Amino acid sequence: MADHQAVAVATHGGGSGHATVRIYVHVAIVLAIITALEVATLYVPGIPGPVLVISLLVMSAVKFFLVVGFFMHLKYDHPVMRALFVGPLIIAIAIILAVMALFSAFVLLPRVVL
Amino acid sequence: MADHAAAAVVAHAAHDPNIGSTGLDNRKVGMWAFLGSDCMFFGSLIGTYLAYKGKSISGPLPHQVFDIPLTSYSAALLLASSLTMVLGLSALQESRVKKAAMWLFVTAMLGLHFVLNQVYEFTTFVLHHDLKLSTSLFGSSFFVLTGFHGAHVTGGVIWLLILVMLAMRGKLDARDYTKVEIAGLYWHFVDIVWIAIFTVIYLIP
Amino acid sequence: MATQAAFMHGSKAETETFWGTVWSWLTTVDHKRIGILYGTSAFIFFLVGGIEALIMRLQLARPDNTLVGAERFNELFTMHGTTMIFLAVMPLSAAFFNYMIPLMIGARDVAFPRLNALSYWIFLSGALFLNSSWLFGLAPDGGWFGYANLTTAQFSPRHTIDFWMLGLQILGLSSMLAGFNFLVTIINMRAPGMTLMRMPVFIWMSFVTQFLLVLAFPAITVALILLMFDRFFGTLFYAPAAGADPLLWQHLFWIFGHPEVYILILPAMGIVSEVLPTFARKPLFGAPVVIYSGILIGFFGFGVWSHHMFSVGMGPVADAAFSISTMLIAVPTGVKILNWIGTLWGGSIRFKTPIYFSLGFIAMFTMGGLSGVMHASPPVDLQQTDSYFVVAHFHYVLFGGSIFGLFSGIYYWWPKITGKLLDEKLGLWHFWAMLVGFNMTFFPQHYLGLIGMPRRIYTYAPDLGWNFWNLVSTVGSFLIAVSLLFFIANVIRSLRYGAVAGNDPWDARTLEWAIPSPPPVYNFARIPHVQDRDDFWLTKYGDGHGGAPRPKGAPVTAAEIAAIHMPPTSFWPLLLALAVAVMISGLMISMVQVAIGGLLTLWLMYKFAVELHRPAAGHGH
Repeated sequence: MADHQAVAVATHGGGSGHATVRIYVHVAIVLAIITALEVATLYVPGIPGPVLVISLLVMSAVKFFLVVGFFMHLKYDHPVMRALFVGPLIIAIAIILAVMALFSAFVLLPRVVL
Repeated sequence: MADHAAAAVVAHAAHDPNIGSTGLDNRKVGMWAFLGSDCMFFGSLIGTYLAYKGKSISGPLPHQVFDIPLTSYSAALLLASSLTMVLGLSALQESRVKKAAMWLFVTAMLGLHFVLNQVYEFTTFVLHHDLKLSTSLFGSSFFVLTGFHGAHVTGGVIWLLILVMLAMRGKLDARDYTKVEIAGLYWHFVDIVWIAIFTVIYLIP
Repeated sequence: MATQAAFMHGSKAETETFWGTVWSWLTTVDHKRIGILYGTSAFIFFLVGGIEALIMRLQLARPDNTLVGAERFNELFTMHGTTMIFLAVMPLSAAFFNYMIPLMIGARDVAFPRLNALSYWIFLSGALFLNSSWLFGLAPDGGWFGYANLTTAQFSPRHTIDFWMLGLQILGLSSMLAGFNFLVTIINMRAPGMTLMRMPVFIWMSFVTQFLLVLAFPAITVALILLMFDRFFGTLFYAPAAGADPLLWQHLFWIFGHPEVYILILPAMGIVSEVLPTFARKPLFGAPVVIYSGILIGFFGFGVWSHHMFSVGMGPVADAAFSISTMLIAVPTGVKILNWIGTLWGGSIRFKTPIYFSLGFIAMFTMGGLSGVMHASPPVDLQQTDSYFVVAHFHYVLFGGSIFGLFSGIYYWWPKITGKLLDEKLGLWHFWAMLVGFNMTFFPQHYLGLIGMPRRIYTYAPDLGWNFWNLVSTVGSFLIAVSLLFFIANVIRSLRYGAVAGNDPWDARTLEWAIPSPPPVYNFARIPHVQDRDDFWLTKYGDGHGGAPRPKGAPVTAAEIAAIHMPPTSFWPLLLALAVAVMISGLMISMVQVAIGGLLTLWLMYKFAVELHRPAAGHGH
């Protein structure tokens, strides 16, 4: 029994809490709703481009962090895990943006054509 | 105080070589490091897609070939599979191995359904829209990006089915929580990459 | 002792025969043995790369020379660069990561010993695969940086580029697996009391390097995947005729390539940060600052990559942005140099071979850094790029820096690894010959570059004024070769007749010197309890503020040692590595081979994963 408990403690890696099945189901429902909203936004007539893009990005970011925080348990986990994921995520996003700028995906950098 | 805790952990670690001085499991730390790395991998592929977006000189355009309803359904499948995954993990923690195996199997099947949808989508593109790897920059970047994501999903499905098989043979129980947990982390990651791809590639015009 | 070694490295019967010994090395999961494997392989490939360099230098010794032609010369500079970076410097660093990281953090092995072995065997497969191209007359010839679209099937129809492309994928996999392993090891397996800021600076630099490895290699993996799809499956990523931008390759490559150069230099900086305090008998000056500088260099190293592309026409905004970030990153680097000098200042310096190489590192790396800062200015770089000035710059930082630093580590840790001392006289002959030879080879190249000699040319006309210094450079390169003969002689002599080293021949500061040389298989009979940085020094001499040396604990009992549990040997890493190599190399041969290799890989991954899934009773914890 002590062993079992030790295993349970160990396997939760010092996490300070734990999401319950109820929370998981609630998160899943929220994810489904947001997905439906995302698709619906696409069909809003006359929606300006930037508004569409920004609202889609915001909604997908919320979904992203809900899955990472709850399903992947990062909200409750040791800060080391958070650092191991968030650091590279920031670098990856920064590089995506830099590459987009360098390839004139948005007109930010006037480019010399030789 | 810190040293006291450290000593306790040392004593504990003597029982389980996977638990380190931080009290964390090596495999879990390793998996998070891997997922961070995979962010860079998919980041590079997404960056490539975005760099070439709108620059194809021929071939069908994205909005001409994308089937948003189908893709939304696929996105929902993966989100649902993330739920079934944590339900399976939860069941395993309570030592309900058969129930855990069932949820893992459902997760794998949802993932398999996703992959089959991808296969259907790819086939449609090739046969009905004449969009192949070699057709245009869009064809190249789309298929490689989503193809590698699909390969990740396939790998995850295989991993889950192996876990199911081990469980059915009585070789998986609550002791293996961490092993199933890291499979879950990988699976959720594959889901969030799709969240990004779905939005950035399919939804954003 | 024999029983202990046998228990750890294989059965008694196995290790007493020749083939038993071979098998025990093929199936080892011991980080110390894996470190020796990496180090030996790396040195051999260092010599291979060196020979490739000597042939180039012979060809360039005189104008209009006919030793090798243009094609062969392309192969030589491609393979020299690829070999030195991926098969020499990186695995030499890996040798030290493997051997030293567990020892310096007070651990018994790395987090994933079998994965560690797998990394090595994948590395060796990749190295052999890449070099097998010579045997087929298909050595890669597109430069070590393989710019598209020269490397696409249209302009490089032969398999030369395939060897390079697939070889790098295999090697990249090895590096990343090792990166994950050491990351987890450093995070999770430090001895009790060793907080992050109490870790030795070599561990910190290695830590940052592992992050760079796992975050930079995905970018080149993608760049190579795109090239692979273009070459094998007809995609258009690097096809300008279809609207593609050749700069895509350059960006993806250098997003990897710039962090890569920090991967190449940080371990050597870490070594220097250990050697100087030991031989100056002073703690590292401003150790936290050196650590933070290393972290800054690692992080911001991802923001400077396009300084390799100032001549491609990115536009003034991009040029300026990357110029600024590049100049900024010189700051933490310069800070470290000042800290090293501060370490020496006021120290009681013992001049032994390790510190000679570290001092050489500081001087040579500083020179390379100065030429590097020049490159950071786009207008200046427009003259220097693609000339021998750049060749001089990167050899000063990679050879004068990394290689000198790594040799410092070799001389420093040789006694720990082998239990024998290297000869000081031979060491100094090696050092001085190498220092003089190195500067003779590369210093004139600054001048040659500025008077107009381009890179990667196989010959030159006699009336350009380049003749004399090219000849000097060639003579210097042979002096480097001679210096290595001193080293090899030293190694052989030490292994045969070297003086016994003992635990702590240098009176050093860190944990690895607290245990026997060579260490027992389990490293530490009792895991140490760390109270400070340079903890071993404090156990010997107290805290320098009047505190006595720490009392030794009760002697270690045989029962304690018997209770130590080391991981058993395994042959799955070797087999899995072979399957991976078969799968990846199959891409340029036949999809049937890819399929077979792929299935084998999947099956072997499964066997690898379940090998320890339900351990037999007796191994249990």
